[in-house]
Amino acid sequence: MTSMRLSGIKIGRRAALALALVTATSGFAFAQQTLKFGLAMPLTGGQASYGNDQVKAAQWAVEEINKAGGINGKKFEMVVLDTQADPQVGIQAVNRLISVDKVPAFITAWSGVVKAVAPIANDNKIVELSIGANAPDISKLGDYVYTTFPLADVDIRAVAEYSAKDMGKKKAAVLFINNETGIGSAEVYRDTFVKAGGQVVAYEAYDQKATDFTGPLLKIRASNPEIIHLQGLVSESPQVIAQARQLGITVPITSYSGIYNPKLIEQLGAAAEGVIATSLAPGASDSPAVKAYVDRWMKEAGRPPNGLPYTQYLYDAPYLVAAIFTSLDKKGVPLTGENVRKEMLAIKTFDLPLTGKVTFADDHTVNKPVYLVEVKGGKWTSKAVVNNK
Amino acid sequence: MDYVYTILILIGLFVILASSFDLVIGHCGLISIAHPIFYAIGAYVSAMLAKEAAVPIPLAILCGGAAAFVSSVLVALPSLRVSGDYLLIASIGFQLGLIEFAKHIHSIGGAGGLTNIPPFLVNDYGRLSYVALVLAVAVLTVLFVRWLTHGPYGRMMAAMRDDELAFSMLGRNAIWLKVSVFAIGSGIAGVAGGLYAHYFRFLEPDQFGLLQSSAILTMVVVGGMRTTMGPVIGAIVLQILPQAITFFGLPPSILGPLQGLMFSGLVLFFMFARPQGLLAAPDIWAGRKAKAGEPRGLAKGGLADG
Repeated sequence: MTSMRLSGIKIGRRAALALALVTATSGFAFAQQTLKFGLAMPLTGGQASYGNDQVKAAQWAVEEINKAGGINGKKFEMVVLDTQADPQVGIQAVNRLISVDKVPAFITAWSGVVKAVAPIANDNKIVELSIGANAPDISKLGDYVYTTFPLADVDIRAVAEYSAKDMGKKKAAVLFINNETGIGSAEVYRDTFVKAGGQVVAYEAYDQKATDFTGPLLKIRASNPEIIHLQGLVSESPQVIAQARQLGITVPITSYSGIYNPKLIEQLGAAAEGVIATSLAPGASDSPAVKAYVDRWMKEAGRPPNGLPYTQYLYDAPYLVAAIFTSLDKKGVPLTGENVRKEMLAIKTFDLPLTGKVTFADDHTVNKPVYLVEVKGGKWTSKAVVNNK
Repeated sequence: MDYVYTILILIGLFVILASSFDLVIGHCGLISIAHPIFYAIGAYVSAMLAKEAAVPIPLAILCGGAAAFVSSVLVALPSLRVSGDYLLIASIGFQLGLIEFAKHIHSIGGAGGLTNIPPFLVNDYGRLSYVALVLAVAVLTVLFVRWLTHGPYGRMMAAMRDDELAFSMLGRNAIWLKVSVFAIGSGIAGVAGGLYAHYFRFLEPDQFGLLQSSAILTMVVVGGMRTTMGPVIGAIVLQILPQAITFFGLPPSILGPLQGLMFSGLVLFFMFARPQGLLAAPDIWAGRKAKAGEPRGLAKGGLADG
């Protein structure tokens, strides 16, 4: 450590100042009893633009809860740490939340982090709430890992059933990106559509880095489908749709929540008409609360949040935790991970401000209505709400 | 205190990685930043052997190291036959290519990651035993690298690094030396990978990408290249700093950018203010007769002297 002195004089002085500041401020924290939970999200790195907006939404909710009296008059506090959406950084953050901040429950997202920290949650008997990650195996990560977010197959199943039953389509073509989620989701669509009485006439994949989709699209055109399901990423999906329309394919195209984005319409213009996507949360036209929420974003940030539905889920998360804490606190039961889990499963159904009701099923999944949206007149408009069984 | 144990384990692992990386890039002057892929190979091989073939975990970890050793020879042999920069290109290609490849193999978890890796020691002897194991391996690695670089082998590395042509003129085989050092460094990283896998029990291909490469490189550069304790100090400082910042109770809107700026800020600061790192490399092979003012080889250079 002697070597630190060589270059560290300036740093040392600042560190001392910062340290003094911390010790001064941390003194206040003990003045009032606080009930804490953790939030581990990417604040830096490639996913930061989403992570930061989600954290902001959660902070608003915590402020609102405290304004409304907190947890039976006690202060409700959220400890936020950075995960960079990286498993290893996430592990450190969650260990810190559990060992240092002693939270009985924490919220995290991004599949890699959710899975990496699951053993820590289970070993320490601390509730992990996954909010936003949708890998199907999240439901099988252990006793203490729950999700409030519907996993990948929920919205695909809804689209397939709606196409077959409500739209009355009998012949579907499936076009999907050749990666893990693409393959998995395409299978879910195919199986659901066939089960609902339809027939899959073409089942084509394209390479992840492809820019020309004429080959698979021509095969699809030759199979003469009544509807096409596109399972791609937000990056190349607009191009796939544009090329399909250029090739004279006019049948409706469905997709999933990934392409529900204002950019799609900007890029495609008139070619976007009739494209159907899904959303896992109600939109501004479905609920006044959501409208007020989006308006607040426009007022305070001057833009809609990145990944609006995800921020809605994150806004609701503190309300869910607060409901559990309030109930435990009223009974005078200590806030431990075990008790939080028990109470959460006992309450079972929570009514949340921006995403509606959520019910924890015994198989660690949740079921939510799927909102179908369609491009009409150059705007995303609500088409239908599908309730999965 | 799981939190402290986790930090100690990560410090230990990064000491192993930074020390073995310094052996490759510092002592031997081989420009490659693909160290994390050998860490990944060790981690995945060890995890799969223990999970699917029920191989005893200590043996699985060693097999992971061996797999990293062998694969690094396969990468180094063709690329080192040409010359220096090709190793950088070939190894990055290997790193990124293998990560993409791993994302598409279902049996090792694909892009979603490998879960339920069997734990080691923790359930029987507590977490502290694992901390002791990792720190012991870290100390052994540092001592081994020190022993290797301070002996005849180290003299060969220094000679080859400073003047490859002269080295070859003396009848030495530069290719053999480069490949063996690269393989030893990568093999050690593989062992670290096995140690990571059986404690944290989850692996994802993306975590072994260029971000981790730059983190390990930063540790070596900040600590001091070609020194025994430099990578150790670099690993400790760069593991503890991001953690320390979280204790300042800053709001997330400041915490985020601060964390992001820290690494690049540190690298820039050291590049300008102290290119030799916290510890400057002594010119161990200058000999006792070297006087002040005499040229002292390239011992004080940065990356560029490879």
